[in-house]
Amino acid sequence: MEHTVSFQIAETGKSATAKVPTGSLLVEALHEAGVEIGQPCGGQGRCGRCIVQVTEGNIRRRSALRLSVEDIADGYALACQSVIEGDLLVFVPPQEKIARRMTSDRVATEVKVPENYDFRWSQRIRRVNLSLNPPNMDDQTDDLARLQTALRTQANIGQTDCSLALLRRIGVILREAEWQVTAILDMASGDSDAPARLIDLRPGPTDEDTPLWAAAIDIGTTTVTFWLVDLVTGQVKMQIAEYNSQIARGEDVVSRIVYASKEGGGEEMQSRVVDTINSLAETACKRLKISAPEVIKAALVGNSTMIHLLLGVPAASIRLSPFITAVNHPPLITAREIGLRINPEATVDCLPGVASYVGADITAGVLSSGVDLSDNITLFLDVGTNGEMVLGNRDWLVTCACSAGPAFEGAGVVDGMRAMEGAIEEVWINGETFEPSYRVIGGGKPRGICGSGLISLLAEAFLTGVLDKAGNVNTSLKTRRVRESEHGGEYVVAWGAETEDGDDIVISRVDVDNLLRAKAAIYAGYTVLADQVGVSLADVHKMLIGGSFGKYINVEKAVQIGLLPDMPWERFEFLGNTAVRGAYYALLDWQARDRVAEIARRMTYIELSADNTFYDAFMSAMFLPHTDMSKFPTVEAALRKT
Amino acid sequence: MPIEIPKDKWPGKIRTVTLGATAAEGGTRSKTVAIGGEASLPFMHFENPTPNPPLVAIEIKDRKPEDWSPLLAEVWSEAMNDPGAWAKAAEATGADLILLALSVTGADGKPNTPDAAVAATKAVLGATGLPLLVYGPGQVELDNELLVPVAEATRGERLVLGICEDKNYRTIVATAMANGHLVTARAPMDVNLSKQLNILISDMGMPADRILMDPTTGALGYGIEYGYSVMERLRLAALQGDAMTQGPMIVTPGFEAWKTKESKVGEGVPESWGDWKERAINWETVTAVALIETGATIVVLRHPESVKRVHRAIEELMAV
Repeated sequence: MEHTVSFQIAETGKSATAKVPTGSLLVEALHEAGVEIGQPCGGQGRCGRCIVQVTEGNIRRRSALRLSVEDIADGYALACQSVIEGDLLVFVPPQEKIARRMTSDRVATEVKVPENYDFRWSQRIRRVNLSLNPPNMDDQTDDLARLQTALRTQANIGQTDCSLALLRRIGVILREAEWQVTAILDMASGDSDAPARLIDLRPGPTDEDTPLWAAAIDIGTTTVTFWLVDLVTGQVKMQIAEYNSQIARGEDVVSRIVYASKEGGGEEMQSRVVDTINSLAETACKRLKISAPEVIKAALVGNSTMIHLLLGVPAASIRLSPFITAVNHPPLITAREIGLRINPEATVDCLPGVASYVGADITAGVLSSGVDLSDNITLFLDVGTNGEMVLGNRDWLVTCACSAGPAFEGAGVVDGMRAMEGAIEEVWINGETFEPSYRVIGGGKPRGICGSGLISLLAEAFLTGVLDKAGNVNTSLKTRRVRESEHGGEYVVAWGAETEDGDDIVISRVDVDNLLRAKAAIYAGYTVLADQVGVSLADVHKMLIGGSFGKYINVEKAVQIGLLPDMPWERFEFLGNTAVRGAYYALLDWQARDRVAEIARRMTYIELSADNTFYDAFMSAMFLPHTDMSKFPTVEAALRKT
Repeated sequence: MPIEIPKDKWPGKIRTVTLGATAAEGGTRSKTVAIGGEASLPFMHFENPTPNPPLVAIEIKDRKPEDWSPLLAEVWSEAMNDPGAWAKAAEATGADLILLALSVTGADGKPNTPDAAVAATKAVLGATGLPLLVYGPGQVELDNELLVPVAEATRGERLVLGICEDKNYRTIVATAMANGHLVTARAPMDVNLSKQLNILISDMGMPADRILMDPTTGALGYGIEYGYSVMERLRLAALQGDAMTQGPMIVTPGFEAWKTKESKVGEGVPESWGDWKERAINWETVTAVALIETGATIVVLRHPESVKRVHRAIEELMAV
């Protein structure tokens, strides 16, 4: 039986209708009606962000988690958990506005073209000008063979493959260009006997200096970064980034896998991330006034889940013990196969990862940070929703991953938010009055606290005694800033009168717990990694921190809460997005590309859940800064001063 | 040929803690007792002498508990109706210490009151000369409400107040510090959590020799091996010199053992389980002795017969 579901959308004031069969979920009806609704938890009924109000008709609630009795009486329901059993009128309240656009004015990273880069030697891509002999009654060779002959005689390319789609066009191109063409080929491997693959055939000869476009892409769980590169000079000509549109279907990889495992979910996830990349490609090309089909190669990195979802490979096994990927090193494919709107014949190279939770973003990070060539022991840390770490030098590399949770990205903290306009990014607390002062991104009224703000808030609250070492709020302090709440004690960072929405911005005991868990997981991760190979953290010569996370955090504060180890500050280096940089190096140079494969092969993956060492390390790190204070001498000194 | 027994040398030792205060020391106890001081794993007398034997405390309540086993009601009988009488009876069993556990509610079913708690504590202090431990009912707000007046009314007695946990320790520690008492710090079966709680309490300025550690345990067959292993690791950490794990350990095998089905149920169980009373006492005794062997300094028991048997086991363990 079909039912009519009408939606009234608060945000636009418009309405929309869908016809769906009995038993459909409200989210499906919303989708059918073209109404966008966020599902950060991946439709598991956990986050409560898809709440709608059923004003006429009845639905069956599979779960009413996050709804109060009054909410239910008023018809509120979770769209992802509500089964349609009749005609409905549904009110869609204003969706939490998440500014999905990245601020474009962030300074782009300066990227140096690797020394010795030479298009002719470093690239497996070749661009050759060809002058074919036109056919005549005496020379009856077909077009493809004619092209292959020219490649053999004029470019010394023994064999060339050509796709059907390109084959359909070559006759026209050759004739219109009067047999003067430019061929772009992928030599695929260093083996001169292996056939080259024809990527593009363009009319007329091409000047040697004319740019040849390619892309380095990092698919982050949160952000997709796109660099447009001229292969001739090796220069990065455009850097842009955009939120991964999969966010609407899950904030973290596990939620995404859950969603992708549902009927049609995999296809949706695949098309969402491809859409994000396509829109980035379109924007970048538009800005450089080139057409997207001019982009003839792409090197892609991302965590293993992101790569599986991009390729449409089922990712369910990543989530379940014993945590096995379908593939760590995907074969070369063409853009056509996954619907990337660059040149459809473009070579798409997904760099190799190591394991379910140590993906190509990390091998690429190792490549670009040079851990694998270092004489001294180096610790590389990439902090996002998951913390991944690599320890080693030119002789050995070990790696592990731990789930830090998204607390430092602002999730799991009531007043947490991403680093965007309105986020409190730094906090100071007066040790006598306990009054805070803070800095807001963009300078306006605060809306919440972002990761760097949370780290500095935690450190300040701890050092001033607002929090004890276990993270309890000391509600006996003589200040209105601390008070009891239903979530335990809390500290008021900003009074309602100062904030954007008029509500107090607070940090509660529960928030602190989530932050402690995140920092403890990361600290435990690299300490266990070091222990496993018998290396003391004191012997770590450099600590390289990748990911956008590192860029804005204050090392001193991060040490004070025990997120980073207490070592001389000059040993820390913040590298920004090491993943896309690694993709760029691998895109440019086949030797670098081989090095990534070698890195992936060399890295020994340590599964932290294999025994209880990690748990012990985690529990001892669930303290400010750590249960073993002797590991944090500078913090101890700072505490003695206050 | 003489055999040389290898001896471990440890950099650390268990802290010596004194419970109770005599009139000369500002209290009313007839004697004080010292616990702790060991510098080896339990009962390794050939390495280092064990300066103080483990002690047995009897747990009594401020009013007759409704949920205790009929076997316990039978043995304590009328004494259970009066904390003073119960304490006297407990002392008569040979117990070294009394633990008074305050109830959630009074006889009228209303929440227990500070006045009633103080009265019960005073009655116990008046009835026996043994050092005393007083525990709240285990509800954060009520614990604080009852223990503060008890601490104030017994200033100088060097009682042990409890139970401090990581989410609720400030009030109890503050009043113990102000009134010259000790505290018990309980953490849920984890070395790190025990240590963290000791740090939190020490950070408030409480001297380390006024903190007992309760690492939490389970009864025989109900997780004792976890408790055992955590206690063993705490003892090893203490001996290795970790100051925040050097407090003497107190555990509650009586509470744990009398929760088990084997102790609670007298009918409808397999015949091979044997005599109910004997089984229940064995359960409590075996649990307690195992914990003593891994380093417990105070075991809190409920049945008088168990007190005797555990004392006998301690005597044997202490024999050089």
